[in-house]
Amino acid sequence: MNTAEQTGTDLISVLHQGQRLLTPLPAALDWLIPLRERGAQGVAAMRLPGRKDEAWRYTSLAFLEQAEYRPLIEGPFDALQLDDVDEMLLNGHEGDRLVFVNGYLAPALSALGGASGGVVVSALAGGLGEVPASLRARLGEIAEQQHPFSALNTALMSDGALIHVPRGVASEKPIEILHVSVGTEQTGICHPRHLIVLEEDARAEIIERYCSLGDAVYFNNVSIEVSLGAGSELVHSRSQEESQNAQHLSDLQVRLGERSRYRLVLASLGGAWSRSDVRVTFEGEGAEAELDGLMLARDKQLNDVHLDIRHEVPHCSSRETFKGILDGKGRVVFDGRILVAQDAQKTDAQLSNDNLMLSRSAEVDTKPQLEIFADDVKCSHGTTVGELDGDMLFYLRSRGIPQVQATQMLCQGFAQEVLDRLPSEALRARTGKVLAERLNQTAA
Amino acid sequence: MKLSIKNLKAEVEGKEILKGLDLEVGPGEVHAVMGPNGSGKSTLAHVLAGRAGYTVTAGEVTMDGEDLLGLEPEQRAALGVFLAFQYPVELPGVNNTHFLKEALNAQRRARGERELDSVAFLKLIREKLAMVSMQPELLKRPVNAGFSGGEKKRNEILQMALLEPMLAILDETDSGLDIDALKTVSDGVNALRSPDRSVILVTHYQRLLDYIEPDFVHVLADGRIVRSGDKSLAKELEKKGYGWLTGKDEAA
Amino acid sequence: MDITHSMNTTPKNIDELVAEGYQHGFVTDIETDVIPPGLDEDVIRFISQRKSEPEWVLESRLKAYRHWLTMDEPKWSSVHYPKIDFRAISYFAAPKQKPALSSLDEVDPELLRTYEKLGIPIEEQKALAGVAVDAVFDSVSVATTFRENLAEAGVIFCSISEAAQEHPELLRKYLGSVVPHTDNYYAALNAAVFTDGTFVYIPKGVRCPMELSTYFRINAQNTGQFERTLIIAEEGSHVSYLEGCTAPMRDENQLHAAVVELVAMQDAQIKYSTVQNWYPGDAEGRGGIYNFVTKRGDCRGDRSKISWTQVETGSAITWKYPSCLLRGEGSVGEFYSVAVTRGMQQADTGTKMIHIGPNTKSTIVSKGISAGKGHQAYRGLVRMAQRAENARNHTQCDSLLIGDRCGAHTFPYIEVKNPTAKVEHEATTSKIGEDQLFYCRSRGLSEEDAVSLIVNGFCKEIFNELPMEFAVEAQKLLAISLEGAVG
Repeated sequence: MNTAEQTGTDLISVLHQGQRLLTPLPAALDWLIPLRERGAQGVAAMRLPGRKDEAWRYTSLAFLEQAEYRPLIEGPFDALQLDDVDEMLLNGHEGDRLVFVNGYLAPALSALGGASGGVVVSALAGGLGEVPASLRARLGEIAEQQHPFSALNTALMSDGALIHVPRGVASEKPIEILHVSVGTEQTGICHPRHLIVLEEDARAEIIERYCSLGDAVYFNNVSIEVSLGAGSELVHSRSQEESQNAQHLSDLQVRLGERSRYRLVLASLGGAWSRSDVRVTFEGEGAEAELDGLMLARDKQLNDVHLDIRHEVPHCSSRETFKGILDGKGRVVFDGRILVAQDAQKTDAQLSNDNLMLSRSAEVDTKPQLEIFADDVKCSHGTTVGELDGDMLFYLRSRGIPQVQATQMLCQGFAQEVLDRLPSEALRARTGKVLAERLNQTAA
Repeated sequence: MKLSIKNLKAEVEGKEILKGLDLEVGPGEVHAVMGPNGSGKSTLAHVLAGRAGYTVTAGEVTMDGEDLLGLEPEQRAALGVFLAFQYPVELPGVNNTHFLKEALNAQRRARGERELDSVAFLKLIREKLAMVSMQPELLKRPVNAGFSGGEKKRNEILQMALLEPMLAILDETDSGLDIDALKTVSDGVNALRSPDRSVILVTHYQRLLDYIEPDFVHVLADGRIVRSGDKSLAKELEKKGYGWLTGKDEAA
Repeated sequence: MDITHSMNTTPKNIDELVAEGYQHGFVTDIETDVIPPGLDEDVIRFISQRKSEPEWVLESRLKAYRHWLTMDEPKWSSVHYPKIDFRAISYFAAPKQKPALSSLDEVDPELLRTYEKLGIPIEEQKALAGVAVDAVFDSVSVATTFRENLAEAGVIFCSISEAAQEHPELLRKYLGSVVPHTDNYYAALNAAVFTDGTFVYIPKGVRCPMELSTYFRINAQNTGQFERTLIIAEEGSHVSYLEGCTAPMRDENQLHAAVVELVAMQDAQIKYSTVQNWYPGDAEGRGGIYNFVTKRGDCRGDRSKISWTQVETGSAITWKYPSCLLRGEGSVGEFYSVAVTRGMQQADTGTKMIHIGPNTKSTIVSKGISAGKGHQAYRGLVRMAQRAENARNHTQCDSLLIGDRCGAHTFPYIEVKNPTAKVEHEATTSKIGEDQLFYCRSRGLSEEDAVSLIVNGFCKEIFNELPMEFAVEAQKLLAISLEGAVG
């Protein structure tokens, strides 16, 4: 109920506005109608989560009251030149690159043809030709709508990368999905939607990145579905470098078939408000998941990661290593749930969350959780919160390194364990650089 | 370099550990400071290096006439103070080479000297590695992470070789080392002896002094130096135990 | 099999203990004064009048009751139970007794025999062990021994009812100061209808000369147990308090909503140990005790220390979070717990360590053993406030699962607002290793013994924190609890 005087965002209004913009839908996109309908129903049925909802206990949605978010429309961003985004591109990237500007594919900025034989790279809105039936069938079948934002994404999804790696195909080069956000007059909300399907014994590497031009104001409401067939392997890097005035909410849901391997490295460095939900469901035996993450929260940033690792079948293993660095009035919220179902015997699940607080006004709320219903399992979690170790600082200073530099070196060292897991050299270098810059900006 | 410690009194957590310590160390001299547990040996080493948590309540420490106690740890390092830790801490994720280069350049910066670029630094570090017979692999790892006791101590000596301090304080460098490791570490220290470098060897056991011959030996007991002499004093202590000087039942 | 359960018997072999079953399942014949079920202001006035309480106690009861009416029953834990009908419970049951007995000879012999069956031979063994016993029989304290000894030291150890008469200023000052009636639903209910409990006051600098203990029993059908304990330790004092409970077999679930408040002043230490053996319900999960307890310690003074040690093996449902408010500088909070759930038991238990002052320290060691179709959750909160400079917490939660139909869950909440505070939390879940079992058996132990040995080792750290005689009872309890759970 938005009156003229009242600011604030009501998701139902956003839904209706978005639906209006999407009408009429080009015939080629008719296939999305039932899915969008399902999303719309979800938005109407689910209320906005609040502090009483366990999963949102520490994560405030107050920012929705401060501005009126409007769906982003495909704007005059075709005018965006390669030069404008040059600084964001990864050096030496040879594989396919899909660039989305404010949620819509920008063919002029993208580079295709680098993927190896058989890999199907398509765009939701049809920008790369008709979306093949194999992908159409899978969209919306992998993820469950967890909250009204994921339902909103399903109802209003703008565009996104749909990647299909057929049986036995190994994609030789990593595929990059780059989001560039450009500020508009209003506070825009956009809904990128990605789908990654690997068939039996397929292999691929995906690099998913979020950058912005300047300190734009916007809300990226992202949904990513990943399905790994038996014996397949996916290496998935996600780098979130959103503007310091933006909101970023991503819902990543992964289903692992037997003997498949999923590796995720998440570097969440930007945004005024950022939340990454990652759900990994083991559907076949003998599968493995390794998740590493780095969360940076400084100034008044909120950085929230919620993991939901579901061992529903036996003989799978999972390992999560998440690190938070806080400065200024930054806040890190971490929730790492490991669920082991009754028949999921021989599960091996380990989780750790370590948080480094660099300032007096920072705050950490961490909750690693274990829900175990099977007995022949090995499960553990550990979490620490603290500041830089005095012994370590002294060691560096006693060698002549000044306090400020010593602090930076140790922070970098703390983050390095996660950064080292990024398979792309270029991404590792860039992320290290961005991290250093952002830490320097608030160095005492 | 001349180090002068006069009537040094220091507290840790409200408890007085150093109770009026006097010591003069001249250029090129090697002084061994020995004593039973709790005598204040480590406290002395940490007070000289400027570790927080140690409160100096009286006395003065000067290096070539300049007050040391008012300086921050990195300032002391730039002046040429080096502490080889008894338990070198691990720095996860901080590359050893990177750390060594940053340290050297920070000190050179502070002294107004030209910094070394990566190429020049690597050349230098290789020379130093050879000097202290250390394996190059340790340069690629994070500082001290997963290093054995001997490797950690050798890393300290490598740093000493690289940073070329005026005053090197070795805090129980022999602790936790077997004979071979001890020999390697001692060879490294001996290779670094020079007329402008002074060394304070803090040790509980006489054994180290067989490998690194001191010019002077001091016995620290209950926060003060109770006896000074030459290397023969160490031998006497080994035979008679600390109790001989402290009146308590302590072995050397 | 009629084995007297006594604190100082020689160790039995496992088979005997296993065969004992729940030996406390019996009911006393003594006529009790039970009021009809239901709760309203009149019931409260009746309770207050029956106990001859001063006006201010009645007033605070009514205030709590009125507040309780505005509250909603909590629904948030992972525990499932049929809705409790508070109007179907009788809130007062007292055995017909003459008041003010000067010696045990005057106590109803039936009553004394009850105590004996419970393993409280007040006269002899307690005297030898130097333990004073305040045995709470249903809602009114009957026997209080050794008060003279304690009185000499200045220690007050009596029932809440007596404290209301004899030490009203103290009671009034501290009652409800740690757990106010507004705190939670069951605390409000308790504040309205509490019938009795223990009051302990240790004056400045006094080390209480003996371990204090209290036994509870719920007897009459449909009687809820609303006990209230208040322990005040003045500057520099020390006290160790033991709480052990048993209850008879019943078909209807019985509610136990107690409140325990501890206050520790500067340099004082309170050690509170519990061995809980409430009836857990039958094999189908019927008839056990619902144990909803609010326990909180307030470390008010600098360098004060409060330790909670518990061994929980009973109850159909357990909901308790002994907590510490670490206010004084350098104050210390500890929580050591072993919780066993089997059959159809459910437990949602843990602790809250709230670090408010600087240099405060907390240690949490929680061991959970889940067997049969039992489910337990550790739910803990470690909060470091902004002023909690250099505060430290170390938490270790380990769960042992026996059988594949049970569950063990860990929900730690960690909230840190001060960078110099350090929190370390670790949790593991596993089962008893085949290797470990085989090793024991290859040395001649039966599987049952092997399990017992390994589980005892798993819980050792906690048992070490219990006063010695409790540790023995706890180990026996553990063995009994796990009877038939393996295989």
